[in-house]
Amino acid sequence: MTDSQLPVYEVFHQQARGEPHVYVGSVHAPDPEMALMLAKEQYARRQACVNLWVVPIEAITASDYEDDALFEHATDKSYRESWGYKTPKTTHRTDQESPAE
Amino acid sequence: MKSIESFNDLDDMTRTAVVDLLYRLGDDALVMGHRDSEWTGLAPILEEDIAFSSMAQDEIGHAHVYYQMLHELGEPDPDTIAFGRKPKEWKCAALVCVPNNRDWAFCIMRKFLFDSAELVRLAALTNNSLVPLAQLARKLKGEKNFHLMHDRLWVTRLGQAVKASQDRMQRALDQAYPLAMGLFESTGTDEVLAQKNICPREADLMKEWESAIIPVLTEAGLQIDANAQPVLGGRTGKHPEALGELLNSMQLVYNIDPSAKW
Repeated sequence: MTDSQLPVYEVFHQQARGEPHVYVGSVHAPDPEMALMLAKEQYARRQACVNLWVVPIEAITASDYEDDALFEHATDKSYRESWGYKTPKTTHRTDQESPAE
Repeated sequence: MKSIESFNDLDDMTRTAVVDLLYRLGDDALVMGHRDSEWTGLAPILEEDIAFSSMAQDEIGHAHVYYQMLHELGEPDPDTIAFGRKPKEWKCAALVCVPNNRDWAFCIMRKFLFDSAELVRLAALTNNSLVPLAQLARKLKGEKNFHLMHDRLWVTRLGQAVKASQDRMQRALDQAYPLAMGLFESTGTDEVLAQKNICPREADLMKEWESAIIPVLTEAGLQIDANAQPVLGGRTGKHPEALGELLNSMQLVYNIDPSAKW
């Protein structure tokens, strides 16, 4: 489907310093400055925000869903996963997602 | 100059002047917010529609805190101030009363001139001697900064885009500028406020406002009419007919039943 509107900018939202920027959606805008201003009102109006990124959608190179084989695990690789190791929460965010011990 | 920690420390003359200032600020904000809210569903693109509506709500929020402060000074509660007054009791400038006429160029230009004026005033108020008012100004200033960033982006882009948009923006400026000059109408209380180091004289604020808007207008390729004369009267209750129509709609429920809750 072609988009007859203004160029699309993808919006990334950071809730607190040091946290990752999280993809939250997109805005239509004629240029990056307008995109940033509009993104602020669409995505940072209610929730806490310390920083926003806007990225022209053309700047993103994405993999193809058809290429799902790329992500398949042919063998058991669980020994490579980090949650088996004890690490301080502050340095490894993946630790927070590890199963309860 | 010594700071005034609380409203109780105000002498009668200063208190009257502060009340007048807060009515001007609150009424401008509420009527501007109402006008801007009339764009909901009609703004040029969806994202702008949401942004513009959100800023209209901000403006109504500002009116509420000004009215709340008036209430602390012994005036009626915010709802009664907003819904219980006749047009001649309002102190807003004609700029905010003028209908939108679905003219985006005019409304963007008006908002730019209005927010620039507000920001100049709020910046001055952040350092004023009346402590509660200075705190309030500091609180509102950040949001106003964003509003102005929004307006500046639109004004410069529409001014620079194509001849048709530049012509429309110039027409909008010619129409809005004399009205905006009316934001700085002296009410006779500004001398008291200036002497007490609460708010600078309107004429001084206006000069500051002009030096703030000219670089943006120049960047947009737009020119102020040097012979423009301010549209006065708003601060003393003389308003365009359009304010009466706006209030009829805004006060409709209250006029049927002042005690209604909704």
